[in-house]
Amino acid sequence: MEVSHSVKERTIAENSLVILLQGLRGHVTTVDLRDESTATGRVTNVDAFMNVRLAEVTFTDRQGMVSHLDELFVTGRNVRYVHIPDEVDIRATIEQQLQAIHRVRYFGGRDKGRKEFPRAKHK
Amino acid sequence: GGAMSFLKRFPPPAEGVRHQQPDTEAVLAGRSLGAGTLYIAESRLSWLENSGVGFSLDYPTISLHAVSRDLSAYPWEHLYVMVNAKFEEEEAKEAPMAEGEEEEDSDDDVEPIAEFRFVPSDKSALEAMFSAMCECQALHPDPDDEDSDNDYEGDEYDVEARELEQGDIPSFYTYEEGLSHLTAEGQATLERLEGMLAQSVSSQYNMAGVRTEDSIREFEDGMEVDMAPVVAGQFEDAEVDH
Repeated sequence: MEVSHSVKERTIAENSLVILLQGLRGHVTTVDLRDESTATGRVTNVDAFMNVRLAEVTFTDRQGMVSHLDELFVTGRNVRYVHIPDEVDIRATIEQQLQAIHRVRYFGGRDKGRKEFPRAKHK
Repeated sequence: GGAMSFLKRFPPPAEGVRHQQPDTEAVLAGRSLGAGTLYIAESRLSWLENSGVGFSLDYPTISLHAVSRDLSAYPWEHLYVMVNAKFEEEEAKEAPMAEGEEEEDSDDDVEPIAEFRFVPSDKSALEAMFSAMCECQALHPDPDDEDSDNDYEGDEYDVEARELEQGDIPSFYTYEEGLSHLTAEGQATLERLEGMLAQSVSSQYNMAGVRTEDSIREFEDGMEVDMAPVVAGQFEDAEVDH
């Protein structure tokens, strides 16, 4: 499970529902844009600013014209809705993402987690 | 046709250029602006025709970008960029619009839109162009985002941000540097631990970090000591006040 390398982004994600969107990586979903166009594709990445990257996209513009895009990046500002696919368990997804962040924070960092688990006496 | 008056002469960006793609045609709303070089730089996206005139787009104005290989939608594979701004263009639009649609510009919330297409002669470069744009776009998060509360009190954020502000605090101290940074308490701890090490017969095993049968037996007197790491300098428990 991938988590941002940025401390700031991890903190932002942990404190907002963007963390749910980040858990959608790999799922096919529909994103409604501010201008009422929609994009349906597989989520490649969602960052803390809700920038969404999709692959294999069916894009319907605001006039209803449909086209296919290999990859699409929508800025967070222009995202109106992100549809959560039916097969996604929302609570479990959020929990998994939180665990991933905590793993990075406590076991990946240099000065955290010293009390988290029995330390081996000899490194 | 008339010249596009938003085209200006300017030098190509010199800094923070994540990707540069020569021999790239720029198309605005279906009209070709010519062949030139696309510069995907951290500060802005620029395109310069071979004659030296071109234009720049600021990332905050870019709503989205995409790689299009759907030849039924547009006959050449390209990088599509949608911009929240108005650029001078000819009347001709790509798709004919129904009568009622002409009011779209004066709709209450509908913002202006300009559609650019960058068609590289080297189609295989599209992935790199797309990724470079994603990276640069991420450098310009929306400042107007009301939801983003940057006033986080999370542990992690505070600690690391404070440390970053301090500038040159190293992550590791060499033995000599570390000694000079110890508080009196830290110094006392160090002396106590070094004393304990000196008493331990199998200290050589401790230092090497290898727990042998011998060293296990040594400690079986029941005295389980949770020692701080033996490597000098990593006194994580010390409250170091900066």
